[in-house]
Amino acid sequence: MSTFNVSGKAAIVGIAETDYLRGAEQSILQMILSASMGAIRDAGLKPSDVDAILPPPGFVAWDEIAAHLGVPNVRYTVCPQMGGASATASLLTASMAIATGAADVVLMTVGWNGYSAIRPRPDARPNKRRFNAAFFETVKNYYAPYGLRSAPWWYSLYLERYAKYYNVPPEAAGAIAVACRKHAQLNPKALMRDRSLSMEEYLASPYITEPLRKLDCCVETDCAAAIVMTSVERAKDLPHIPVTFLGGAEGHPNRPDELINRKDVLDLGLDLAAPRAFSMSGVTKDDMDFLQIYDCFTYVALLEIEALGYAERGGAAEFVKNGNIELGGKFPMNTHGGLMSQGHCWGMNHIVEAARQLRHEAGAAQVRNCELGLVTGYGDLGDGSIAILGRGVR
Amino acid sequence: MRMPERAVVPQPEELDREFYRATVAAGALCMQHCKRCGTWTHPARYYCPHCSSGEFSFDRVSGDARVYSYTVSHATAESAWKDLVPYITVVAELTEGPRIVAAADGFKPDTVVIGQRLRIVTENKSEDFAFFWAQLVEGSSP
Repeated sequence: MSTFNVSGKAAIVGIAETDYLRGAEQSILQMILSASMGAIRDAGLKPSDVDAILPPPGFVAWDEIAAHLGVPNVRYTVCPQMGGASATASLLTASMAIATGAADVVLMTVGWNGYSAIRPRPDARPNKRRFNAAFFETVKNYYAPYGLRSAPWWYSLYLERYAKYYNVPPEAAGAIAVACRKHAQLNPKALMRDRSLSMEEYLASPYITEPLRKLDCCVETDCAAAIVMTSVERAKDLPHIPVTFLGGAEGHPNRPDELINRKDVLDLGLDLAAPRAFSMSGVTKDDMDFLQIYDCFTYVALLEIEALGYAERGGAAEFVKNGNIELGGKFPMNTHGGLMSQGHCWGMNHIVEAARQLRHEAGAAQVRNCELGLVTGYGDLGDGSIAILGRGVR
Repeated sequence: MRMPERAVVPQPEELDREFYRATVAAGALCMQHCKRCGTWTHPARYYCPHCSSGEFSFDRVSGDARVYSYTVSHATAESAWKDLVPYITVVAELTEGPRIVAAADGFKPDTVVIGQRLRIVTENKSEDFAFFWAQLVEGSSP
């Protein structure tokens, strides 16, 4: 049994996010710099205090972030290449760097033009730099020839087996979409604010590729978000109550670069990561006051709920019904609206929301007196990550 | 059935190209076959995931398979497929073990069931690429 543990060593001390837009005026770099500077200032720090940068898994690189922000002495930089699981995975990596003294103040940021990338303005050039992941070769060689070009179509190859094999009712996926939309009504920055959604409307949504309806898919947005972490000792002198990293892990299905040849295609990296993270944290899934679950697609979120241990495989439908995942329920989920209804910021927006909740700054969406919560990431073809966070130094 | 015109014809590299070249040359599906332990692997890997041997060949497989999963696409981001919706794509599990993505050859959404028997046939598109068709085996049940 490993004794590896960095629980309680590091804390989130600064958070920021841009608006969630369809058609941003700013470039990806500008949005990332804006969010990064915002998080540094929110932490009561200056760019020169930062000594580690964990950049996004694509689009923008650490060196230009350092150069533009004016970070003079970067001691440590690394990037988990896990798409939507990168942001949450970076919390563990940052905590390790801080716990060992490799870094003191770590800046983590993600951003992109998820809307404008495929709808560029007339004078805009396409992105030159994308993600560096081998699974694109798999997609190009084995999925794209069949009309399966982007994420909903790849994932449907295994999500339809999930839906059919376990008889997952569409209302289970709908409960995720409805909860996220409901919470987005409380978030001034949510893209889908002022657009309510009922279960009836969800069920009437047309299929894109079965089992995914249009309303099972998250919203494409232009946005960036950033956080700053430091040691719990230094955090005590900073403006906000620290949000302490209690446990975290990343996990990867075997094999990670391809979707359909796993022993069970429903294996997620999170199945492996979640038990490790809870073990490190010393708390349990039942102690969580909220869940910020990576929701690129509703059905993926159902599988994550099962991977976290809240239900047996195929059984998430019971967990999500009767408002259990809505504010006021036992496990409110994606209290900012999630990728489904706030916007797609690669899960960094889930971390920002978790920190906001634990600072008790979530406004109308505040989970009253919350002390503990978790964040998950899901990326590429099933990479998983999780972080368990707590209010204050514990 | 023919692969839709203007659909993506990949230009694979490394082992993906070896896999497709063997399949194109045989006119039938071939798979990476470990010379030491006999494991069939797809997509092909430089080391066998079972015994770590680096010795392999690409050998013809039976083409017999079952529906492991599938999706019915009612919309598409691919212009070549726009006039073909709704189209069915299956994940076919070969008797030899590996699974591949294949296009449904002529069968309808309401006739596809997980576990149903399939026959995989190939359509050569270039020296580096063959398109895979899944045909339902009549009279079979899951």
